[in-house]
Amino acid sequence: MRFFKKTTWAPSLRRLSGLRREEKQEDIMGLTDASGDLAGEMEVDAFRRLFPLRFYERHLLESIRPDARPLGKARDTTMALGAVASADGSALVKIGHTTMLAAIKMEVMTPASESPGEGCIAIDFHMPPICSPLIRPGRPAEAAPVLSKQLTDIILSSEMVDLKELCLIPGKAAWMAYLDIYCLDADGALFDAALLSAVAAFSHLCIPAVSVNDEGRVFAISEEQIEGKSLKEPLNKGKRKLTLSCTPLALTCILHKKYILADPTAEEESIMETLATVVLDMSGRLVSFYKPGGTFLAYTSAVQDCISLTRQRVKELQEILTEAIADLELD
Amino acid sequence: TSTEKTGLGSSIESEMEFVSPEGLRLDGRRPMEMRQIRGEVGAVSKADGSAVFEMGNTKVIAAVYGPREVQNRSQQMSDKALVRCEYSMANFSTGDRMRKPKGDRRSIEISLVIRQTMEACIMTHLMPRSQIDIFVQVLQADGGTRSACINAATLALADAGIPMRDIVTSCSAGFLNSTPLLDLNYIEDSAGGPDVTVGMLSKLEKVTLLQMDAKLPMETFETVMQLAMEGCKAVANYIREVKNLIIQYPLLCTTREYQATGISLWCIAVHQGNKHEPRALGSYEDWEF
Repeated sequence: MRFFKKTTWAPSLRRLSGLRREEKQEDIMGLTDASGDLAGEMEVDAFRRLFPLRFYERHLLESIRPDARPLGKARDTTMALGAVASADGSALVKIGHTTMLAAIKMEVMTPASESPGEGCIAIDFHMPPICSPLIRPGRPAEAAPVLSKQLTDIILSSEMVDLKELCLIPGKAAWMAYLDIYCLDADGALFDAALLSAVAAFSHLCIPAVSVNDEGRVFAISEEQIEGKSLKEPLNKGKRKLTLSCTPLALTCILHKKYILADPTAEEESIMETLATVVLDMSGRLVSFYKPGGTFLAYTSAVQDCISLTRQRVKELQEILTEAIADLELD
Repeated sequence: TSTEKTGLGSSIESEMEFVSPEGLRLDGRRPMEMRQIRGEVGAVSKADGSAVFEMGNTKVIAAVYGPREVQNRSQQMSDKALVRCEYSMANFSTGDRMRKPKGDRRSIEISLVIRQTMEACIMTHLMPRSQIDIFVQVLQADGGTRSACINAATLALADAGIPMRDIVTSCSAGFLNSTPLLDLNYIEDSAGGPDVTVGMLSKLEKVTLLQMDAKLPMETFETVMQLAMEGCKAVANYIREVKNLIIQYPLLCTTREYQATGISLWCIAVHQGNKHEPRALGSYEDWEF
């Protein structure tokens, strides 16, 4: 039912493809003798589907990718704070087509006995079936629990949020922050987008005002109650924001032969499988380096290149984050 | 859906005023006024068709994958397409955080309702041995999630280019403080009064979905149902005229041809960027290409 659109080579390559048409045709013809005439007229889309690695390597030789990005450049990133009105803190982040929606809901609970003066954060990452054609409704995605654990480890170990700020009455009541991140569109670099949305949601978070009632139970009070009736003193007057220190930001790179591609799309991830994720904090310190196996074995020089690419990216992300927070305060 | 079944104009309702003496509801609307609707097509790039639909504070995102190969061979049907639907709510969508957003009875029931509603209007006999998946995710819930999901699914199916008989729109209505109210929000919904949800094929004016909770006398029921149908027409009007998201135009242009063949074909075109792109052909009656 859909019409199959003919696409042309990326604008930057139209000139090159003209110059090297003979070489390309020989290449294709030499490899697919059986198809004969058909190979010579092979369309771009068909070549991309049938020989994806060759298609990409042809672009990598010119240090460019099919969507006309240079190798070390990430996709356009946009951020919107406060996307979910019913949550205490939320953010919608888009890196290229990859879309993540993060929301934080606060609940009061009794703190654990080992840490009576600290609150708690529970992080969960969901990949609903809308985000990708590869996910079947009965079976949850393989990537979801892996990313969930990665995010939990990094957010808790980087100590971005001081858990002592989440305490209300030491030993009796503390805040439990439930962070839920939903992937609405999975187009590669899921971890980067998820971490960015988590950080943005925490920046937007406003802790609601609460008060203690007669039985010693803590309950949330709304704006009208603070101003009007005579209640017991609220535990925290009005809403306040958390102070975030050393916020972690990430960049995923693909390592392939001698190329390093920053911020891969889902297509690139499926063809070239070796991923490396670097997480740096705002001051440039290394929080985490994650390379889970893969066919490509990296030299230390490749590792250092990844880290320097991440450093540049963190600067960009910092600007976007401060801009989004400033926009919010204007409203 | 209410947890307490009440009688008509009973004591529980009189404790809380849902319609003030001036005729304004809790959120300042008139009884016959719908919440603000917003719809957009093409939200998820990976899906064959997708849409976001908002009715007031209720926000829903729908994605359609298909027609594609059937994943479970034993369910394949040789004469028509298999339609599957999954409804799930985000953990943060309701006031209190939900513990089990998927797989609970309410979600399964709503998945079934949406599937059967959409199956009635998709021309499944044109795509045998294939599967069409409709996934709906509720991002914010404030009453009327069922209706918002059906509207979003319609837009997503049109975006995916799946041939349909007509567009299905849905709206809910209720009866509180002896007044029929259109498009209930969460507070009005959980008040304990009746809640009528109607899903309608807009041009043909045929009802595919009709659900009601609580008790109503027959005359009041007819009033409330008519009100809900007006709401459905308003949503269809929004989709077609206001946003021009979907255009249905007849292909057989003269009336004489229509009368002769008795068939009218129409084409669905979806608004993309600045122009309309044709997506699918459909017709009001069953016929073979």
